[in-house]
Amino acid sequence: MNKKKRIGVYICHCGGNISDYVDVEKVRQAVDGGDAEIVVMAKTTMFACSDANQREMVEDIKANNLDGVIVSSCSPKLHMLTFRNVTERADLNKFTYVHANIREQASWAHSDNKIGATEKAIHLVKAAIAKSRYADALETNKIKATKTVAVIGAGVAGMKAALSLAEKDTEVILIEKENHVGGRVAEWGSLFSSTETGKEIIDRLYAEIVRHKNITLMTNTEVFENKGSVGNIAIKVRTITEGTEKLTEYTVGSVLMATGYDHYTPKEGEYGYGSTPKVITLPEFKNMIDNQSGKLMHNGAEIKNIAYIYCVGSRQSEGENTYCSRNCCTSTIHAAVTAKQKFSGITNYHFTRGLRTYGKQEILYADSLRAGDIYLQFYEDGIPTVTNEGKKTLVKVNDVLTNNREIEVEADLVVLVTGMVPRANSTIGTLFKLPKGRDNFFNEVHMKLRPVETVIDGVTIAGACQGPKNITESVNSALSAATKSYSILSKGELETDPLVATIDPEKCTWCGACEAACPFDAILKIDNGKKIIAEINNSVCKGCGMCAPVCEPDAINLIACSSPEIMSMIDALV
Amino acid sequence: MENTVKNITYDALVIGAGIAGGETALNLANTGYKVLLVDKELSVGGKMIMLSKVFPTLDCAACITTPKVSEISRHPNITIFTGSEVGKIRKLSDNEFVAQVTRQPRYVHVEDCTACQLCEKACPVNVRDQYQFGLIGRKAAFIPFSICSPKAAAIDIENCTLCGACEKACPTNCIDFTMEVETMELHVKTVVIATGFNLFNAEKMPRYGYGVYKNVITAQQMERELAPTRPFNTVLRPSDGKVPDKIAYVLCVGSRDASIGNPVCSQICCMYSIKQAQLLMGTLPMADVTIYYINIRSFGKGFEEFYEQAKGMGVNFVKGKIGRISEKENGNLILRYEDINEGKLQEAEHDMVILSTGVLPNTGIDKFFENQKLQLDPYDFVAQSDMLVSPSKTSIDGVFVAGTATGPMDIPDSILSAGAASSEAISYLIQQS
Ligand SMILES: Cc1cc2nc3c(=O)[nH]c(=O)nc-3n(C[C@H](O)[C@H](O)[C@H](O)COP(=O)(O)OP(=O)(O)OC[C@H]3O[C@@H](n4cnc5c(N)ncnc54)[C@H](O)[C@@H]3O)c2cc1C
Ligand code: SF4
Ligand code: SF4
Repeated sequence: MNKKKRIGVYICHCGGNISDYVDVEKVRQAVDGGDAEIVVMAKTTMFACSDANQREMVEDIKANNLDGVIVSSCSPKLHMLTFRNVTERADLNKFTYVHANIREQASWAHSDNKIGATEKAIHLVKAAIAKSRYADALETNKIKATKTVAVIGAGVAGMKAALSLAEKDTEVILIEKENHVGGRVAEWGSLFSSTETGKEIIDRLYAEIVRHKNITLMTNTEVFENKGSVGNIAIKVRTITEGTEKLTEYTVGSVLMATGYDHYTPKEGEYGYGSTPKVITLPEFKNMIDNQSGKLMHNGAEIKNIAYIYCVGSRQSEGENTYCSRNCCTSTIHAAVTAKQKFSGITNYHFTRGLRTYGKQEILYADSLRAGDIYLQFYEDGIPTVTNEGKKTLVKVNDVLTNNREIEVEADLVVLVTGMVPRANSTIGTLFKLPKGRDNFFNEVHMKLRPVETVIDGVTIAGACQGPKNITESVNSALSAATKSYSILSKGELETDPLVATIDPEKCTWCGACEAACPFDAILKIDNGKKIIAEINNSVCKGCGMCAPVCEPDAINLIACSSPEIMSMIDALV
Repeated sequence: MENTVKNITYDALVIGAGIAGGETALNLANTGYKVLLVDKELSVGGKMIMLSKVFPTLDCAACITTPKVSEISRHPNITIFTGSEVGKIRKLSDNEFVAQVTRQPRYVHVEDCTACQLCEKACPVNVRDQYQFGLIGRKAAFIPFSICSPKAAAIDIENCTLCGACEKACPTNCIDFTMEVETMELHVKTVVIATGFNLFNAEKMPRYGYGVYKNVITAQQMERELAPTRPFNTVLRPSDGKVPDKIAYVLCVGSRDASIGNPVCSQICCMYSIKQAQLLMGTLPMADVTIYYINIRSFGKGFEEFYEQAKGMGVNFVKGKIGRISEKENGNLILRYEDINEGKLQEAEHDMVILSTGVLPNTGIDKFFENQKLQLDPYDFVAQSDMLVSPSKTSIDGVFVAGTATGPMDIPDSILSAGAASSEAISYLIQQS
């Protein structure tokens, strides 16, 4: 290990996120020229990540001949890569860069204690300096990437993603577990803001897909094995047709997940569902109005009065689904308006929890009001009741909009506005180790700026498997995911991170503990000619470090977290 | 890269360098295409770079925007023209557009400026700072804002008295009054419109007193008061610099209201108001914050939980539309409203009022196109010709649209829309070549 002699340190104000609580100037003074004078330069900066500061850093590194750089700022999740790249632009090996987090770990954690926060920040920066002395130059590896994407799920999102990748000269394996494409959209007739039906849209996309030479469509097919990592992911799929099973293997560079959602199914008895025949769900209602003509009939009786109860299975402060399902308000009003136009004598009563016809969807709401639809509102603590009196089904609520007056509607049909829930069967997510959010939909890396990428490199998520979305939003996310998957593979090669675990073959006794601990299946059992030992698959290892502490004989080392680095950091911290 | 060399052909012209245009430019550049990114402002970053924190993650907006901006500015495949506007665009054939771009003189050579601010100090002229939405002043020689990119001074020639003080003060001699308007004819293969939105001008609703009552401000101004790079070190009300302790938010100002010409819901103002209310509770723990609303539209991922969190923190939510606001002698404001839950007309006194103004289209975009018709929707946003299936396609083949240019949306939706526009543009470039 080559000890560093000329280290530069930057201490970021983060606007005021850090400097409101941490005395950044004091931190600077505490480390400048410190640690046997190896810190040759220490500066504070308003926003270390700003373009102006990044340029300044490049100049500083060159002018001061620095051999190590530290930025003390926010979480490394946010900006470690940013500053590694700055270091690289200054012709310094990017792995000599060391990051100190004095925002989440000092200023935000101790906003009630400015002196303590400052002291802690000083320790954290000193620890980073200690580590920096030992931070080795490392080389990234280049691997060849397969220009093929597996798109899983052939709903509208998957179909659009497949087409857009195929148009970009990329091979696509489009995998669908059902025997037909189109997912939920194929179920729909008329749609809001479109002259086409759901089925027509799917037919249009399907015609393009079968024409496209770059797309291999596999229906009745599921993925059951996943190995390797971004660039070269080996998947095995099982196709079952007429009772016969066929297994196929593909190597793909990226996987685009578009597995969609399930409709919420009301619990037995929820608003009379299951026990009162007049109570149905929104998807059932949509099918009903699409498939009937003349009179709208249900169980042999003509329907005139329809009560819609909103937010069923959504927005539950106590229940399992705390989120709003985003598109059910609009879908319901659209269905109600369609029913009114198609069948005579219909009156629509909407029992809402505050309508969410956001954006231009508001116009639909305004139109339905003008057409005479009746809107009532309740809060979660005063939900409507559905009761049967003889042959009558009554929906009652204390209406918020009319000073809590009790309003009773005799309904020929009660439509429960059920929302979107994550797929009940989540084996595909588990297979690809996709993290889920608290709502159980797949989670993106960064909610604001990277909504289709996941923590699993090379696996993108599109459509409603990430959270409730309407068709336009699903397609936007599908095309975004396609763009990301394509941009990973378009160059034909990829850089891999050298920060992986290493095995000392002398010490390893193959007990298998590391293999069990590794969340990425990166540990292989091999015979090295002398004995059975563990081996790390470098292209799969994420350097997470789960294996190192479970290794009894201490045979595992993590590159960039070597013992001298860690020990010197601990010395600086205590 | 901010460039003075005029490479006259590019693969793509991206108009507008907000988060949608920036993301589109990066997606295209990362897949090997040469992009010209044009913005009329002096900095890239659009509205987002000026925000405080973002809902519902409460990430610091500057912290997540600046690295993007930096990536855009440094990208070898991206050429940026700030202070520039697109004049006319002609489609010659598939894959061939000619765009006229006019660059206004900045009167500063950006490459030489070190942003030392000496010109700012020397300049005797004080005017309202448009980048702080008028909360404070700035000089006629000025650096737009602390995290702007390119980080360089500019001369506001309309207010400049040509006294020459800045020129004398500048240590690198980068101020140059001989700069002139440059007009360029550029050949591009595809165009992406990412011109964003305008906010409703609250002065158009005199009954709320914006522009007359000092303590009625807009949410955009409050964003600046709450930002880490805020002009004051805390939240102040404008009339007397007092720290407010009874703050009101009025939602749907200029939205959902056919009588002022905008029936559309702006879909971001409920959420940004809830966000600001939470930030205010953090900054001013003793303050009361009340949000007057019609419906709360917390529909996106994590939004409903964020709304519940605000209620849990003690933000008051009152269902009622504000009829009018009047001012008391001490600068406090009286809000008259119909309280829906109580079913009666009420009055409430607050010492500061924030108007959550809505999203309006950036008009005139269709005028760019000379020999083709760019269709607009009934509200004057750029129309999506195949809204459900190809949301970023417009009525002109080879011209795509990203972000709020098609209608109100938040940052993640703008990113998704930009991803879609990028995808279509890349496909178009590949298919046509
Ligand atoms: C007060 C407020 C708070 C907000 N808070 C949040 C939040 O917390 N979270 C969130 O997700 N969203 C928030 N938003 C919404 C967010 O600002 C928008 O979603 C986002 O800025 C949209 O990005 P855009 O690129 O589409 O548009 P813009 O940001 O408007 O960018 C458009 C760009 O195009 C340029 N331009 C326009 N016309 C031309 C032309 N003719 N030639 C050249 N350039 C042109 C403009 O100068 C601008 O730089 C908030 C908005 C407001 C008003
Ligand atoms: S979209 Fe409307 S019906 Fe659906 S959960 Fe949200 S508020 Fe309820
Ligand atoms: S988002 Fe909320 S405040 Fe904005 S227009 Fe819609 S309902 Fe009104």
